[in-house]
Amino acid sequence: MTRLSVRDVHKSFAAGSEPVVVLQGVSFDLAAGEALAITGPSGSGKSTLLHLIGTLDRPTSGSIGIDETDPFALPEPELARFRNQTIGFVFQDSHLLPQYTVLENVLVPTQAFPGKIESKEAEARAAELLDRVGLSHRLRHRPAELSGGERQRVAVARALINRPGVLLCDEPTGSLDRAAATAVAALLFELHEASRTVLVVVTHSLDLAARFPRRCELVEGRCSQASAA
Amino acid sequence: MLPSLRGLTHFWRANLAVALGAAVASTVLTGALLAGDSVRGSLTDLTLERLGGIDAALVAEGFFREELADPSPPTPLPPPPADRERGAPSRSKGRLSSAVPPSPGGGEGVGEGGQGGEGSLAPAIVARASAVHGSSAQRASRIAVYGVDERFTRLHGRGDLSLEQAAGAIFPPAVVNESLAGELGAKVGDDLLLSLELPGEIPRETLLGDKEAEDVLVTGRFTIAQVIPDRGLGGFGLAPHQARPRNAFVPLAALQEILEEEGRVNALLTAGEAPDLRTTVRLEDLGLRIVRGPAHVSLESEGFFLKPAAVETAEALAKGLGAAPRRVLTYLATSMRAGGRFLPYSMVAGLSAGGFAPPDGQVLLNGWAAEDLGTRPGEAIEMRYLAMAPGGGLREERTVLRLAGVVGMTGLGADRSLTPTFPGIEDAEDIAAWDPPFPVDLSSIRPKDEEYWDEHGAAPKAFVSLATAQRLWSTRFGDLTALRFEGPHPPAPLSHRPPPDRERGEIAAHDLDRIEETLRRELPARIDLAPFGLAFHPVKEQGLAAAQGSTDFAGLFLAFSFFLIVSAVLLVGLLFSLAVERRAGELGMLLAVGYAVRAVRRRLLAEGIVLAGAGALLGLGGALGYAWLLMAGLRTWWLPAVGTSDLYLHVEPSSLAIGWIVSVIAVLIAVAWTVRRLARVPAPSLLAGSTVAPGASKIGRLARPLALGGTVAAVAFVLYMILAGEASSPALAFGAGASLLVSGLAAVSLWLRRPRPSRRLTLLAMAARNGAASPGRSLLSVALVAAACFVLVTVAANRRGEEETETGAGGFPLFAESAVPLAVDPNHPEGRLALGLPEDGILGGVSIVPLRLVPGDDASCLNLYRPERPRLLGVSPELAARELPFRRALDNAANPWTLLDKDFGPGVIPAIADESSATWILKLDLEEDLTMADEAGEPVRLRLVALLDHSLFQSELLISEKNLLRHFPSRAGRSFFLIDAPPERAAGVSQALEEGLSRYGFDVSSTAARLAAYQAVEATYLQTFSALGGFGLLLGTLGLGIALLRGVIERRGELAALRAFGFRRRRLAWMVTAENGVLLLLGIALGTAAGLLAVAPRLAESGGAIPWTPLLSTLLAVLVLGFVSSLAAVWSALAAPLLPVLKEER
Repeated sequence: MTRLSVRDVHKSFAAGSEPVVVLQGVSFDLAAGEALAITGPSGSGKSTLLHLIGTLDRPTSGSIGIDETDPFALPEPELARFRNQTIGFVFQDSHLLPQYTVLENVLVPTQAFPGKIESKEAEARAAELLDRVGLSHRLRHRPAELSGGERQRVAVARALINRPGVLLCDEPTGSLDRAAATAVAALLFELHEASRTVLVVVTHSLDLAARFPRRCELVEGRCSQASAA
Repeated sequence: MLPSLRGLTHFWRANLAVALGAAVASTVLTGALLAGDSVRGSLTDLTLERLGGIDAALVAEGFFREELADPSPPTPLPPPPADRERGAPSRSKGRLSSAVPPSPGGGEGVGEGGQGGEGSLAPAIVARASAVHGSSAQRASRIAVYGVDERFTRLHGRGDLSLEQAAGAIFPPAVVNESLAGELGAKVGDDLLLSLELPGEIPRETLLGDKEAEDVLVTGRFTIAQVIPDRGLGGFGLAPHQARPRNAFVPLAALQEILEEEGRVNALLTAGEAPDLRTTVRLEDLGLRIVRGPAHVSLESEGFFLKPAAVETAEALAKGLGAAPRRVLTYLATSMRAGGRFLPYSMVAGLSAGGFAPPDGQVLLNGWAAEDLGTRPGEAIEMRYLAMAPGGGLREERTVLRLAGVVGMTGLGADRSLTPTFPGIEDAEDIAAWDPPFPVDLSSIRPKDEEYWDEHGAAPKAFVSLATAQRLWSTRFGDLTALRFEGPHPPAPLSHRPPPDRERGEIAAHDLDRIEETLRRELPARIDLAPFGLAFHPVKEQGLAAAQGSTDFAGLFLAFSFFLIVSAVLLVGLLFSLAVERRAGELGMLLAVGYAVRAVRRRLLAEGIVLAGAGALLGLGGALGYAWLLMAGLRTWWLPAVGTSDLYLHVEPSSLAIGWIVSVIAVLIAVAWTVRRLARVPAPSLLAGSTVAPGASKIGRLARPLALGGTVAAVAFVLYMILAGEASSPALAFGAGASLLVSGLAAVSLWLRRPRPSRRLTLLAMAARNGAASPGRSLLSVALVAAACFVLVTVAANRRGEEETETGAGGFPLFAESAVPLAVDPNHPEGRLALGLPEDGILGGVSIVPLRLVPGDDASCLNLYRPERPRLLGVSPELAARELPFRRALDNAANPWTLLDKDFGPGVIPAIADESSATWILKLDLEEDLTMADEAGEPVRLRLVALLDHSLFQSELLISEKNLLRHFPSRAGRSFFLIDAPPERAAGVSQALEEGLSRYGFDVSSTAARLAAYQAVEATYLQTFSALGGFGLLLGTLGLGIALLRGVIERRGELAALRAFGFRRRRLAWMVTAENGVLLLLGIALGTAAGLLAVAPRLAESGGAIPWTPLLSTLLAVLVLGFVSSLAAVWSALAAPLLPVLKEER
């Protein structure tokens, strides 16, 4: 069953008198458990496409469906709830909240709609996720006390706390050294396979992209898709 | 549950700055409220200290029995005296007579009913006086003298007075307060001369009123036994004013003796509820007497004329008894002439309808007079008499009446009881011994006149109708001299037979006793006591109400601090914005993981609420200090504005609560604005660290129409001012200036937001470009500085120079007030003679405009208390002829003085006030009314018909003299004077008048000094406004510095990169300083230009003479501070090592 459907998506921005066209007719479908790497040169629209899929921005035209739902038809509060329950994000910067502990940072998404998950159940799940990303010994630490790779692993755990159907990663290893990047990438695939999420990763890393069965290379806003041999 | 407010502590530095900003707002706002509390509380304290235990006071124009204060049980009235025809004089000088002699032991009855508890009433004599030091001759004018005894000190309860005469002391003791002692340079043991007005029953402005100085004034010598502090008992006074009074307390008995009023007082003071005096008051307390003759009972007045209230009540009582009294008005004709024959000094009786009342314009003569004049019915008789001249003094007037008939020399035809007691005449053995208070030509008296006097005394020789008599001789004090109840008597006309007495309700002899008894008992109980001044006023209640203040100091300081508060609030918004912008990624992440925008907004607002609440709480402590500082300022630096150093910090919990709540709300508005702005930024931008919403902001969208509209409005205002001849209109100019400010700020906004084409990239261009990097922040900084400069310039321009004080006094260099009103005109030779003033010499050519004054509360800004009964000044034609600066007048009247005679219907009196007093103190505008009670206790509405502009008359309301006399008829004499003298002789004239009229308590002041005192208040307020506005400007500059510092910190990497490219630190410092300087100069230039346009008329009026030095100093200080803060910011950024900063960048 198709989980993520991107149909003829266009996106342009107003900049002065001439609009800047970023995406031109991007289309693809992803079923549950599928993974896609989006690559391309800087400014090709990779992050923009990811933000559109993540419902953080709206396409100029075209449609995006997630679990057969048009998220942009939802009013803002419902869209937020939809995003909270359906989509997980991992950014290049981990965007951990410095005032919270590691455990609390993972729990942050559960507080967007309190009551959805029992707090004890949420805490148990957060602890389990942190255990799976190898940080069970860091639960009470603050982000400032973690390395870059550890912070990104916390971000991965945070992205999965609400069991999203779609996991979106924007350069998740971009700010990490090679070893940490490898570890984070391995973790992503492991969790993706375990939870059968749709995984979409924007990356410059050819090594990382090479591990994806499907790839979309954005050139001048157009997507040329390739499948792993 | 996650602790959502943990960010508060994590980002504690940024949040502390926000909280401190909120604390500043709360300090200033709550401090202003506490300043209001403190002034009100201090005035309340002063009122309570001043009045002590006294709650109500009665101060009458005349004197009454001291026994009214006696709480002893009531005793029956003494029986009428056996000889009831002309009771023996009861007063020490025999100037007045009474039909009711004092009972033995002074234990006269007090009528029915009781009054108050023991010690709850204290009798006193309250008088204004002038004081002279016994040896140094140092003078003090317009002091308050209180004749009191131990009942007063017991009632007041806030101190003791040493009023026991020491053994061996020659003069009675006096206790003075520090203010009076200081002014006289007196100490304990020194002698003190007090000059007071002698009470006179007969109004001075009548034929029979005393006018000579020796009859009007009395001087007593006292030895100072004690000097007491000005606070507490020493500050006693019945009128609310914060200025320390100059008081002298003397023994009641001693003052009674000096005033020849033994056993009588003019004031009663009471604690608790005021007693109902109608149960104890007697006719004599009302200045009334009953004269009983063999066939009549007359109600007469000690003041010669019966007050209308007495007439109305007596006639109502008579009606109940079925009796109709005859109304009588008897006057003195100085001469009657007929056919060349002359009859000097004759009483003429005007009688109401019935016998002896010829038709109007005719006269009846008694047989003696008709024979003396040799006249016959139908012939003309010229009658001359003395009347009061409008400016005081007497003038002879004449009338011609036709002889209607001659009446016989029996009954009313030769009835001396028709003539009330004439002081100086009644008791004279013969005419040659007359000593009346008016000139008598004794040479015209013939032997036959003396014979008539010997046989008939003051029996009228002529009779006219009451209407004729009232037309000729009525006064504002009354138009009847007696109400007469008559029994049967033989009418005996010779050629004119009056109708039978039955027609006017002739009364049987035995009924006269009943009438007398009724008048004696019932009239005091039924009469309205207010017209006689026998009404208690709740002075404490009124004082406490007045202590709420004429000026709302809370509002005043809120207004003064408005810009400071706005600056603080905007600063909070700026700081909060800076704090939150650092957390843009956090906000973006929250949105990305599914937080609704509303939830994120709530999260930030929650933090804002906590910060605002905590900061405002912290600010309450600051508010206490701020208010304390303001009170200290009012006691010292701003003393001219408040006139008292008795203002101390008072704290009302409600003000703290209100201050806290309002501060929190104000800060939250700023926080909410920031949050709302950030909430519009999409998550991807936030995740990228940007807090700028895509597309034009609301301000950006509004900028163009605002810039255009503001310019059009400013030009329109200016064109209208020029074309419509309104070039001096402050309101239009202010509109033009404000429009220019709005337009300028909008233009700055556009300039900051406009896309900049690539030109040659100079350092200055880079600075300007950088300033536009955060257009909202930059615009806010420019707006803060510009608005502050606008305020400073407009305030500075409104400070007046000394040269502008001259026009407000109508060209009079001097003015004066006297403790004792002058009954004669000091301009006329006769008046000067009577007053003992020289006609020539230093006073030669000096013109004095005397005005009637109804004492009351000072309505000017010099009085902190709210005036309940403002002073009233009667406008004379001489004053109306002077040119005074009018601000506005009803219907734009060309001559606003004429509006004082306009008829607005019953009970409405047109009045003119100074605009400052009307606006700020009385809170009235044109056509609005101030309601107060007139002399009779009737409410009158003073309607403002014109407003003066910075005039001498800020302490009083001006009404026409006619209206003043109509509603305050007993205000005899003039006690306010405008003095026109050559400027070079002003000092000499002042000294001559003060010395010559020292016994009247004549106090001359320079009009320029008074106007300067008024101006000092305004100047002080403007200075305060400037000072607090300046603080606001500094705060705005601080905000600018913080914004700059933040910007520099954000751009550390950029600056480091520039250094890496080879830019030297000095060049970078110049670039960043220039960024700030551009914004600063823009703000200063825009605010100053708009401010100058707003005050253009004022500048033109003053020839550009505004206090430039302090203004420019402030602006320079701001500029310097701005640049220093820029340099500090740059230094902190550039001082960091290059490489670590570069490495921070991704």
